[in-house]
Amino acid sequence: MLRSTSPLLSLFAFLLVWGAALVSAVSTTGNRLLAVFDDVGEKENYSKFLGDLEGRGFQISYETPKSESLALFHLGERAYDHVIFFPTKTKGLGPNLTPQILVNFLNANGNILHTLSSTTTTPNTLISLLAELDITLPTERTGLVVDHFSYDTLSAAETHDVLALPPPVPVRNDISPLFSADAPAGQLLAFPHGVGAVLGPREQLTPILRAPKTAYSYNPKEQSEVLEANELFAAGQQLSLVTAFQAINSARFVLLGSAEMLQDKWFLAEVAAPGGKSVKTFNREFAKRVSAWAFQELGVLRVNWIEHHLNEVSAVNESNPHIYRVKNDVTYTISLSEYAYDKWTSFSLPANDVLQLEFSMLSPFHRLPLSLDKAHSSPEASAYTASFKLPDQHGIFNFKVNYKRPFFTNIEEKNTVSVRHMAHDEWPRSFVISGAWPWIAGIGATVSGWVVFVALWMYSAPTDKKVGSKKTN
Amino acid sequence: MAPKRNNANRGASPNPKTATTTSATVPLPPNPPPSAPIPGSRPSSSHSAAHPKTSASAPVSQTWDKVVSNLTSHYQKSTPQRTKLLDAFMAFLVLVGVLQFVYCVVAGNYPFNAFLSGFGATVGQFVLTASLRIQTTEANKNDFPAVSPERAFADYVVCSLILHFFCVNFIN
Amino acid sequence: MSAETLQVLADVGKGKSTRGVLRVIILALIAGASIASRLFSVIRFESIIHEFDPWFNFRATKYLVANGFYNFWDWFDDRTWHPLGRVTGGTLYPGLMVTSGAIWHALRALTIPVDIRNVCVLLAPAFSGLTAVAAYLLTNEMTTYNSAGLLAALFMGIAPGYISRSVAGSYDNEAIAIFLLVFTFYLWIKALKQGSMLWGALCALFYGYMVASWGGYAFITCLLPLHAFVLILMGRYSTRLYVSYTTWYALGTLASMQIPFVGFLPVKTSEHMPALGIFGFLQLLAFLDYVRSAIPSRQFQTFLWLFAGGIFVMSLAALVVATSAGVIAPWSGRFYSLWDTGYAKIHIPIIASVSEHQPTAWPAFFFDLNLLIFVFPVGVYLCFQELADEHVFIIVYAVFGSYFAGVMVRLMLTLTPVVCVAGAIAISTILNNYLVAKTPTEEDQQAAEAAEKKGSKSGLKSATKPVVGIYGLWSKSLMVAGMAVYLLIFVMHCTWVTSNAYSSPSVVLASRMPDGSQHIIDDYREAYQWLRQNTKEDAKIMSWWDYGYQIGGMADRPTLVDNNTWNNTHIATVGKAMSSREEVSYPIMRQHEVDYVLVVFGGLLGYSGDDINKFLWMVRIAEGIWPDEVSERAFFTPRGEYRVDGEATETMKNSLMYKMSYYNFNNLFPPGQAVDRMRQARLPEVGPSLSTLEEAFTSENWIIRIYKVKDLDNVGRDHISATAFEKGLKKKKTTKKRGPRVLRVD
Repeated sequence: MLRSTSPLLSLFAFLLVWGAALVSAVSTTGNRLLAVFDDVGEKENYSKFLGDLEGRGFQISYETPKSESLALFHLGERAYDHVIFFPTKTKGLGPNLTPQILVNFLNANGNILHTLSSTTTTPNTLISLLAELDITLPTERTGLVVDHFSYDTLSAAETHDVLALPPPVPVRNDISPLFSADAPAGQLLAFPHGVGAVLGPREQLTPILRAPKTAYSYNPKEQSEVLEANELFAAGQQLSLVTAFQAINSARFVLLGSAEMLQDKWFLAEVAAPGGKSVKTFNREFAKRVSAWAFQELGVLRVNWIEHHLNEVSAVNESNPHIYRVKNDVTYTISLSEYAYDKWTSFSLPANDVLQLEFSMLSPFHRLPLSLDKAHSSPEASAYTASFKLPDQHGIFNFKVNYKRPFFTNIEEKNTVSVRHMAHDEWPRSFVISGAWPWIAGIGATVSGWVVFVALWMYSAPTDKKVGSKKTN
Repeated sequence: MAPKRNNANRGASPNPKTATTTSATVPLPPNPPPSAPIPGSRPSSSHSAAHPKTSASAPVSQTWDKVVSNLTSHYQKSTPQRTKLLDAFMAFLVLVGVLQFVYCVVAGNYPFNAFLSGFGATVGQFVLTASLRIQTTEANKNDFPAVSPERAFADYVVCSLILHFFCVNFIN
Repeated sequence: MSAETLQVLADVGKGKSTRGVLRVIILALIAGASIASRLFSVIRFESIIHEFDPWFNFRATKYLVANGFYNFWDWFDDRTWHPLGRVTGGTLYPGLMVTSGAIWHALRALTIPVDIRNVCVLLAPAFSGLTAVAAYLLTNEMTTYNSAGLLAALFMGIAPGYISRSVAGSYDNEAIAIFLLVFTFYLWIKALKQGSMLWGALCALFYGYMVASWGGYAFITCLLPLHAFVLILMGRYSTRLYVSYTTWYALGTLASMQIPFVGFLPVKTSEHMPALGIFGFLQLLAFLDYVRSAIPSRQFQTFLWLFAGGIFVMSLAALVVATSAGVIAPWSGRFYSLWDTGYAKIHIPIIASVSEHQPTAWPAFFFDLNLLIFVFPVGVYLCFQELADEHVFIIVYAVFGSYFAGVMVRLMLTLTPVVCVAGAIAISTILNNYLVAKTPTEEDQQAAEAAEKKGSKSGLKSATKPVVGIYGLWSKSLMVAGMAVYLLIFVMHCTWVTSNAYSSPSVVLASRMPDGSQHIIDDYREAYQWLRQNTKEDAKIMSWWDYGYQIGGMADRPTLVDNNTWNNTHIATVGKAMSSREEVSYPIMRQHEVDYVLVVFGGLLGYSGDDINKFLWMVRIAEGIWPDEVSERAFFTPRGEYRVDGEATETMKNSLMYKMSYYNFNNLFPPGQAVDRMRQARLPEVGPSLSTLEEAFTSENWIIRIYKVKDLDNVGRDHISATAFEKGLKKKKTTKKRGPRVLRVD
């Protein structure tokens, strides 16, 4: 039974209505977008992509790295919420966009979409940034991904440097199929003149789109005909064409290997794989999804409220108390919502996935699955609950929900409670314990015998009046 | 320097005491049989009487039987009624204590605090009653110059109440 | 002065009521003196709780008066020993807090609202006055000289051995425990002398109060049975002994078991077995005494005495068997280390590391007791002269008290009462012999000469018979003047010792400037106040256990370990975190949710009580639990030295404690000239660098340094790389791939 959450629920509803009244579809972290071009005129090539973004509610500012007024932070706060880096020919990005500033931007919950091109070398700033994120590019700071088996026969029949790929499928069963095609099958994604990256083992990295097994990356300027094995940068599925990075604070960084795939030309083109017929590219839809994910419109989770209470018969109606007692029965409920482009909906767990609750002090004492609580769920939020008995150990414990999945916001909630020992009057009384009755009887016998004895003594004759009557105190 | 015996300084010779007390209580034959009936009195009084029984040559078991019968008969005759009441109460406490201890051995001592308070109540009460007995027997008058028997009884009641309070509190 | 005037004066002085009034006034003055001599630190600094342990007692008392007795009894303290918490209500001795709470409530009921801090600070001096009165009462039972009691009260009031633990501000258990100790002994002697159950019950109740107040109650628990045993061995079994001891034992043990912290210990541990054993033995003796009077035969009596001896030996054997079988716990570490002094250093380094647990150096006896330590054996000898039951008590107490005081400095405190009593007996004997016979009359003189003649006639001078009077005015006045001088020196010594050695609050340090004026070093309170004002309310602080109580009391923040030292593994965890590399310490600190780390550093001022000096104890304690990961040997140079300069070992230089102590220290000095003033060492030019901690606060004289534990790096880097990146250092790129590629597996 939920107690005293109605204020929370009503506040939440109010905010929802108010928020909904303001904007139609927008990112959950703000709509100020910065697009960095070498030359602002280049934005015409991306007009559809940028138009889509503006249609989703973003306010786009266009800057070049050399401009002096460019600042990601103003008075300690973010000046922009999202940044897109288009390929720039400069060696560095200038003093306003140092790697440290970019890392700080991520730490300040800003999101970055970084696009590469095989025709331009990536600026050193961005190479340093990628190194901090454990993403490695070829040493020449650019490369070219070719595949002699999955290329676009219509535009790159000789050079094989435009890849025609099926839309990505999740590489592991815990990855959500956000970027896959819904239907129909047979869609193809054009990946023209792109750069593949090699990812380190860091947990925050997940490849969105990997190169097919037959692809490889090489430097067209220096390496031409034959590639030695030890000169190969990477090949096959080690090449990540579109990479997702989600920091611990859920700031997102997407590395898009080919900036060209966002151009209008490729949104409207048709591609054909070898031996296949030509289809329209999936690029526009893919670009929408990738940018929506990068800019916190897709795959965003939110914890609405958490409530735990004592689940015993004699309990007082109190939510989230600070102290429990050993072996109390408690119930824990957490309410989650998911955001998709424009509204918060209830979050439904993927099929094989479990949302777990840990009750831990230094290490978990309980690790329980949370089950859907229909009573507190609604179309905008779903509640998950678990009930259990606290361990027979006093201390300072945490209710921990740690739900970190690729492409979903990190959920890490910790509620601290103290679990106290039994108070001196919470132990069963001795007359309740059957083993104690003989000794209660013993004491009773002693006391009653004593009372009888005292009565008899006072009534019986004193031994000797002569000697003992004088008080000598 | 030899340690001095305190009691020699504090008490008068017990011989006249024996005579007065025996005359005041139950009348006895003028030459009382060997064992002086008052507990705790000085050994010299017992030496003054005749002692036919114990000799080195008699077998110990015979001696033991005679000792016991002697003891019981003189106890019957020469202890005052109040002291007998005391002794009866003490015997009752011993019984209750033994019962509790047997139960503990047989059925375990859970809960331990109950066992301690129950058993401790009987032991404590027994000890207090024994102290009262010591303090109210006439032969020990000189051992307790500051404590008259009435005061001893008052002390006894106070101490017993304190004991009961602690026991009840401890057994919860 | 004519004889008549003297006679008049003597007559006035001889009146009983005058003497009584005089005694009361003198006792009141003594109490006042004892209170006054403990107020040095309050006058010099302020009314503040001193040291470490009193801060916990103060915090507990504040909780008690704020939340009431039942909440205090069931108090679960979640702000200490994070994250284990501490069941404080059941693991402390509540006597002190309850006494202060009661006094506070009583004063409020009288409409005198006194702040609880002042009640706590001034409780110890107030009770020291009562202790002086108790010493007076105890000594009065020993001798018939009236002056002995007053002298004992005076000595007890100002002896530094007692003052050291009862100055104003030293709000520790001994503040009331020593009063209860002396008073319980007085009640015991009174009960024994009178053979009264009521006095025995009073003794038991005050014993129960003592058990509620101090862990040193085991001293009474062992001393009273020992006294009874010695009396029995001397052949002095008497019914008074039976009545008083059994009443005390029965009621006292039941009373002591009511305290949750003591619980079942009186029947389960070896420290309490002597009392139980003597109790049983006394029952046996009483029974045998009763039977012996009924059975006339001498042979039978011998048989019965053998029987008694046999039972004694058998029950002793049963005790040994029960102890070795584990039914009865053996002597606990704290008490066992009193017998085997080398035990603690090897097995329980925490006990060995406390400075109060070290053996006593002989100057400490003179320092704490002055002339009393000379006259103490004389007093004990005089007890042999009289040798009543109560004198046996003094002798037994003196012997065992001396042994324990020699083993541990802290136990000087338990020796002080008997030293005061015995010393008072000795000095009062001297004074009574030299001061009383001031106006010898003609009859006295003739009688004395007759006695002299008798003695000279027989040729034997009986040494035990006291001479009637000492006649030479010269010798009398010389002796009296000498004693007076000694007593005055005693008072001066006590006052000087109190003022200079025992009145420092140790929270505030004081030193002298070159021009002689006092310079206060208040770094501790500055740092604790910073913590209190600048950190969130449940920020967890990790520091060495010495400062736990102070952090909890003054900064009011949860701590990981504190002076209670009940959990050795937890302390060893903190020790391991302090003595390991950052990569090892950081996961430990994250697991324990540590927000700030506090270290004490004395290198700038030359302060000797800092953490680098205690560091080896941290290492030893950690090594006790993790011998594979922490090794004391690794902190010593190959030549066996403990160095902190450039020659320090790598383990030392990489340890968290070293880094925290010397971080940024070299920036105070011109390059290359950083000197650690405490250890007289020149530090290397490049100071240590920290990657998982950042400096949050350093106090004015660098005594306390507080560091904040950094959160995990947001983009998932390790902290060293992250710090290097922040500084702008370029990542080293591997140009040539060595070995097989590391592939990412999804």
